[in-house]
Amino acid sequence: MTATRIVIAGVGGQGTLLATRLVAETALKEGLRVRIGETYGMSQRGGPVMGHIQIGEAYSPQIRPGDADAILGFELAEATRRGVTYLRDGGLSIVNRKRIPPVEVVSGMRKYPEEDELLGLLRRVAGRVFVIDATSLAEKAGDPIAANVVMLGALAASGVLPYAEESVVEVMSGSIPPRFLDLNMKAFRLGAEAFRES
Amino acid sequence: MGNEAIARGALEAGVRVAASYPGTPASEIGDTLASVAKQMGIHFEWSTNEKVAFEVAYGASMCGQRSLVSMKHVGLNVALDILEMAALRGVKGGLVFVSADDPSQHSSGQEQDQRWLAKQNCIPCLEPSDPQDAKDFTVVAYELSERHKLPVMLRTVTRLSHMRSGVNLGRLQKLDIEARFDFDQFSYTTAGFDKLFYGGEKAANEKIAAVADEMNGSLLNSLSMTGGERVGVIATGQTYNYVMDSLIRLGAKDKVAVLKLGTSNPLPAKLVSRLIKGVEKVLVTEEPDPFVELHVKALAKDVNPVVELLGRMSGALPTEGELSPLIVDAAIAKMLGEIPLPNLRQALEAEARDLLFGRMLTVCAGCPHRASIYALKRAVKTVKGDIHKVVVNGDIGCYGLTWAPPMSYEDTYFCMGASLGVSQGMSHVGVESIAWIGDGTFFHAAIPALINAVQTKTNIKVVVADNGVTAMTGFQPNPQSGVTAMGEPTKCISIEAIARAVGVEHIEAVDAYDLNATENAFKRMLEANGVAMVISRRVCATEAVRRMRPKRPSPYMVDESKCTGCKLCLSTFGCPGLNYDEAKKKASIDPTICMGCAVCAQVCPSGSISRRDD
Repeated sequence: MTATRIVIAGVGGQGTLLATRLVAETALKEGLRVRIGETYGMSQRGGPVMGHIQIGEAYSPQIRPGDADAILGFELAEATRRGVTYLRDGGLSIVNRKRIPPVEVVSGMRKYPEEDELLGLLRRVAGRVFVIDATSLAEKAGDPIAANVVMLGALAASGVLPYAEESVVEVMSGSIPPRFLDLNMKAFRLGAEAFRES
Repeated sequence: MGNEAIARGALEAGVRVAASYPGTPASEIGDTLASVAKQMGIHFEWSTNEKVAFEVAYGASMCGQRSLVSMKHVGLNVALDILEMAALRGVKGGLVFVSADDPSQHSSGQEQDQRWLAKQNCIPCLEPSDPQDAKDFTVVAYELSERHKLPVMLRTVTRLSHMRSGVNLGRLQKLDIEARFDFDQFSYTTAGFDKLFYGGEKAANEKIAAVADEMNGSLLNSLSMTGGERVGVIATGQTYNYVMDSLIRLGAKDKVAVLKLGTSNPLPAKLVSRLIKGVEKVLVTEEPDPFVELHVKALAKDVNPVVELLGRMSGALPTEGELSPLIVDAAIAKMLGEIPLPNLRQALEAEARDLLFGRMLTVCAGCPHRASIYALKRAVKTVKGDIHKVVVNGDIGCYGLTWAPPMSYEDTYFCMGASLGVSQGMSHVGVESIAWIGDGTFFHAAIPALINAVQTKTNIKVVVADNGVTAMTGFQPNPQSGVTAMGEPTKCISIEAIARAVGVEHIEAVDAYDLNATENAFKRMLEANGVAMVISRRVCATEAVRRMRPKRPSPYMVDESKCTGCKLCLSTFGCPGLNYDEAKKKASIDPTICMGCAVCAQVCPSGSISRRDD
């Protein structure tokens, strides 16, 4: 059974869905079978968002616990939450060092855990945890909002996907509106370079 | 996406009129049609509610045109009256309606399984498994509807509505059928009372029996069985994907016969019989109720009473909620006499749960509803002495999330428009309450209840949290937006004018971002005699930012030299843009989240919050 399985996790408003779709669109362009599932419920309202992608021999997009080849975590806590459930032993996790405190933390009911505690849990399953400051890199590219594409760049450079980094670039050129393209291309390259330099 | 595929299927079938009311997980069907309706030369509308949407579609159908109605599962409850009549009186042009069910209630108050309504009303119910099916089944549904003169239910679940995969497209088509009403009052009015009363049900029963015959040979169902299997699965709709993935995982493709079931009502009796006669055990996978399982059980009594039926009734699957790959893996493994694969991550997940917060729902940064509920809480406290002297009856929409801390102000939350009705019942027994309702929901279902309050002299207090759009489902226009779903300018329908017209005497409108003005208006409402209404108005913050793109709102910041670290902004207001630095003992604002609404600056007692640019 051959399939590439990716989980993308974050919080509503971070652009996880765009990243999920670009991964899948590239797979389609490459002639691969792909299924993606999105859970976003009431995501604009600060809720957790998650995308499952299965490329290859799969009927449902839903990934079983312990089966994902990689997790792309857009937010520190969400990366850990989903990583411990879905990442396979020895899998890759790419984590944005961004904290989006939920209302429990904002209103003082809970504490946001330390980065070490969170990553410590994640390391118990991950073969590799690559922490990236995607929001700062996106700022460098021109807008912090492009952190999602920085993350995508890192994923594309990691070699987990069954196609080349340049294929994603081609799909982006065709599907992102021209006025945002330059920003997104810069963000993508910065993410990819950060992964390669690590 | 499953929803986009349904819209495409309707266009390939030559749909002429489509109507919907937005609701997750159905909304993108309408969003897709809205975006192409002009170009395709069809009519699409976001109707006032689902009943109106269904009636619009039925009107077009009676004139021979193909029509589509889509809604979330509970929307079908609203449309049930006309749905029943359309089934009994019959359709002419194909009428397909989508019930987008939400097992495990990802975005709903409950997970009601609407297939029972198809059964109750002699309506064919089709259940696609993936986006390709969703498109193909929609096209077939129109043919079925016209052949049998019945409305057809296309029943989806959230996992299909929001599933994406490649879809092979067919040709878009425009049907050249003259729109004509046959003046046959015996078909559509009580002039044919005898015929209808004694014949409507009979005709519907005969029609659905004819559909049942056809389903045995339909491409919507397929049985994969060699005869050598000892067990089988009836895989309904989307659960087919889990079943196939399980068979791959367990290496059991040759050991299990699979009926991919696309028509849960009526069941393809011959196909089901062939399966249950040929094996010892059958697992029925479906979501969320044992709808198919129950009917298979009835069939098995005649066909093979000793077959062991496994499913949600037998205890092999959970009694409610959606299924998952792991649940289906375990059920199939068990049926094969194998040990189910364990979930190896349970212990680690438990550790993560202890460490992590749950990420509770709240309204967005800059949301005007947070400001309104903050002001309402203060007003009730001032006027009544205690916030719990008054029950806050909430309604369906983003503002319904104000039960969540730290806003923590909403006591009931039921269904569209219920807040005004239940407030009246409370009033008659001397319990004070406030109806807390949004603009879209007000138009959808609250106007009759408002009329009722005035007519019965029931002095309820109504707060309309008016953010100008149907925000929760994706910013669709509503009757006061001044624009149709197809982008045409139209009249803005005023909430104040409606309230005035039905006889509400105390009506005020305020800017929700002005905390003092809003609080004072609420105080006057609480002290007013008669039915009283305050419209707390401000466009949805997320919509406002969408409109100003690519510009961003200018964010606010905390002056650390003034901040006393009292945390009032966090503990009483709790906007997601706020944060607290434990080391410095100062509040802070995340500029990437802040919407620049300035309400937290009004909450701060030390005046330490101001605009970054100033």
